[in-house]
Amino acid sequence: MSVASAMDQEVLTLPECGSADVERIGGKAVGLCRLLDLALDVPAGFVVTTATFRRWMDDCGLGREVRRLLHGTADTAATRAAADAIGELFDGRSLQSRAIDRAYEELCDGGEAPVAVRSSAIGEDVAASSYAGQQETFLCVRGAAAVRHHVVQCWASLFSAEAITYRRHLGIPAYQAEMAVVVQRMVPAEAAGVMFTVDPMTWDPSQITIESTIGLGTPLVGGEITPDRYCVDKVTLEVRSRAIAAKPFADRLDGDAGVTHRIVLSASESRASSLTDEEVGELSEIGRRLERAVGSPMDVEWAIGPANGRTRHLFLLQARPQTGRPLRPPSASRRSAMEHMVAGLRRSRAIDKEAAG
Amino acid sequence: MDALWFRPGASPREEIVTAITKRSFPSPLDVRSPAGAEGWQKMYPPYLLFSAENSEWESAQFWYWDGMHRPDVEYPFDTLVHEAYMMSVSAVVSRVFAIPGAKSAASRVLNGRLYLADIPFTEEAEEVRRLPEFARRAGHYFENWEQLNANWKAKVAALTDELAAIRVPELPDLEDETVVTSGRGFSSAHVLLDSFARAVANLFLVYQYHFEMLVLAYVAQLNLHELARAELPGLTQHALARFTGGVELEQFRPDEELKRLARLALELGVSGELRAGGTVGEVMARLERHPKGREWLTAMEQVKDPWFFVSTGTGLFHHERSWIDDLSVPIAAIGGYIERLERGEAIDRPRSELLAQRDRVTDQYRALLPEDRRVAFDEALKLARLVAPHMQDHNFYIEHRHHTIFWNKMRLFADRVVDAGLLDTQEDFFYLNRWEAGQVLFDTANSWAQASPGLRMRWRSLVCERREILDALRSWVPEPAVGAVPTHLGGLLTAQFGITMDTVQRWLDGDENLDVDELTGTGASPGVVEGPARVVLSTDEIDRVADGEILVCTATAPSWAPVFGKVRATVSDVGGMMSHAAILCREYQIPAVLGTGAATRLIQTGDLVRVDGDRGSVRILRRAA
Repeated sequence: MSVASAMDQEVLTLPECGSADVERIGGKAVGLCRLLDLALDVPAGFVVTTATFRRWMDDCGLGREVRRLLHGTADTAATRAAADAIGELFDGRSLQSRAIDRAYEELCDGGEAPVAVRSSAIGEDVAASSYAGQQETFLCVRGAAAVRHHVVQCWASLFSAEAITYRRHLGIPAYQAEMAVVVQRMVPAEAAGVMFTVDPMTWDPSQITIESTIGLGTPLVGGEITPDRYCVDKVTLEVRSRAIAAKPFADRLDGDAGVTHRIVLSASESRASSLTDEEVGELSEIGRRLERAVGSPMDVEWAIGPANGRTRHLFLLQARPQTGRPLRPPSASRRSAMEHMVAGLRRSRAIDKEAAG
Repeated sequence: MDALWFRPGASPREEIVTAITKRSFPSPLDVRSPAGAEGWQKMYPPYLLFSAENSEWESAQFWYWDGMHRPDVEYPFDTLVHEAYMMSVSAVVSRVFAIPGAKSAASRVLNGRLYLADIPFTEEAEEVRRLPEFARRAGHYFENWEQLNANWKAKVAALTDELAAIRVPELPDLEDETVVTSGRGFSSAHVLLDSFARAVANLFLVYQYHFEMLVLAYVAQLNLHELARAELPGLTQHALARFTGGVELEQFRPDEELKRLARLALELGVSGELRAGGTVGEVMARLERHPKGREWLTAMEQVKDPWFFVSTGTGLFHHERSWIDDLSVPIAAIGGYIERLERGEAIDRPRSELLAQRDRVTDQYRALLPEDRRVAFDEALKLARLVAPHMQDHNFYIEHRHHTIFWNKMRLFADRVVDAGLLDTQEDFFYLNRWEAGQVLFDTANSWAQASPGLRMRWRSLVCERREILDALRSWVPEPAVGAVPTHLGGLLTAQFGITMDTVQRWLDGDENLDVDELTGTGASPGVVEGPARVVLSTDEIDRVADGEILVCTATAPSWAPVFGKVRATVSDVGGMMSHAAILCREYQIPAVLGTGAATRLIQTGDLVRVDGDRGSVRILRRAA
């Protein structure tokens, strides 16, 4: 395959992505490739590259339209009106792609398995893209036509009022944006959640924090339930604390129907730990490996579902550098160990004054 | 303040403080005594009690129950141990080393239980003014630690030998003629009283030594923990303890000697003699008859002093006995080791493995620290490891060796009082406080000298009354704290007890947590296991412990060491992160929850329990039928 044709390729399966750069496949896909490189299991899937986006925008003449609509929209109200107009434009155009149809067919072995369609953002602001509304995720999408439709929906999120404002904030022309889309088989999860390889509250680099719920991760990600929380020592992999929450319901995937059901959990089910100790250990070990390989704290989404004849197999759904680290003031330079000791002994007093002040 | 950078947003502590101010602890003088315990105050020296005279000051302090060291009602006599240690530790903090954090620490007895308080500085300027003093004084000890520690051991050994040499004379009808021929000039009455005064003074002095270096060892340890936690706030107590684990400790020597004697018994072919059961006398007789038995007995004789001066409890109470008093304990333990050796099990502490693991783990935590903190961490680690042996070993030299001898001396004094007919039993003596004990001994000596009756009725009825009062006090469930709700906790002692503002909040919430099926304590060794409980109240019962059981005991001491190879987890009433059991459990990698205060009362042998060493909780899952 020549370089030119590779660059133009509209769809790549995840294993094919290899070292494809972020401009073609987006941050989310790059993260998944990294997981594959580390021989970790991710649900099978493919990437709709930015080449497809560009081709479609050109074919529909949307690039020009978008640019025109955005021209001179400096204030909030005008931006919102432009975003609405662009949204309608996108809604009105369908995407035809043999490459997507073929990739979906292969992914489902000819059937119509439910897939997740997720935006895979481009640009230096990948880490911050969640703030810019570029994190569209559509679950339980079935059939090639539906997949294509939701790919367009992901693209449309590029021109939400938030995304436009955010690009302007970064000094990037509002019309200049591209996006890749990841399509993956849904995991009919027994449990799912997130893992931070550095504790997101205290930013303790020795603590991995896992939040987990029964079934799909949707109620957890949506903040609808309090998840189980496991804090793990990154060095010894000992569980520092486990807080098992009462989880009133769980979302379950009905694979045949391609829909999720919200199921009320019985009192005993709801108070059961969503993960076994072994699973907490396995996840933590992966988190530790991943962080070392990438060289940065990671934020990982995962699910446990059937595979290889087991009912509970661990899949990683996405991994990205963890954001939100508080700024650390420069460390006070203490001249001697004794000075440190004094500070340590008087620390509780310092905390007290801080609280009082 | 840079220790606070990791606290995002609103301080959770602020909320706690707000919540706390809404409630309070009972004022010490408002706490009621249980029925039948009226007049309990008279049992103790008045300076140990909350008083009307100082009620304003006392109500303004935060007093917490020391259930960790003194879980039961104080025998009037035994308070002398805490009198000695509280006077020592508080002076070291406030008057000798000027340790920052709190000005001093105070103690009071309430309904027979010991309460402690940190005495805060009234103004911060005072604390600040003292800082250079602290730095210079503590610095001197840290710089000369090894030499001072060697000196310390020599001092304590000499003092203990002095104690051992104190004579407790019987009071004969007529003095031995040597009293005359030697021109001694004083009678046994004087010796008895002088000896008692010297033995008590000896205890008070040994406690001066007890905290001479120990407080600084706490400081060095706390320093490492604070430094590590400033960067790695989620570090558990176990992880922190592991930084200084695996060192060679004399506290383990008694157990090492038992293992050596077990091996020797197998070598000499006398293991059968040791394990055939019966009384200590019968075992000894069998060994004497065996051609190689004499050799084994000589080997044991050689190590008995000091290594069998090991209390079967904490050493802090008169009723605890030592191996040396009752050889059945070490002999049973040796039997246990022989059995395990015969099964081909390894009985040695895997020390080099532990050290390698410790260093590997420490390196990994260190690598997680920001680069600019690593040098400070290395220094703190070095210091903490330097002081670590003293933190453990002082316990053998004082609580075990010295106190074994001390309590045995006190029993002899008690015997003299019983001989004189002023008390019925040895045990009765310990119902008198140390001043009254001096009086009853004076009465003993004086009535002997004057050949006149002593106050038999007075002393006996006093003891009778007190036996009832003590029983009544035992029914009192101690308040976790009395007095003022603290606005901050700064003292070294409170830190050593692991009391935080969260603890204070939990105590204020008190009643909501009354759950007789769940106990909390210090999670001293990580892991979660379930299994049948085996409640062991004394080392006589130690051989009843079966493989896979969960040991539930009052306290933990070196004499319990043999049991750790068998049990699946350990739960105790008394003990903390750095106690003997904690160290052994971490080494054997079995969970431990220590210092629960009430495990031996709430758990029964055969109960199915879950021990969660990570969280420091024990749950009774199913009661034994």
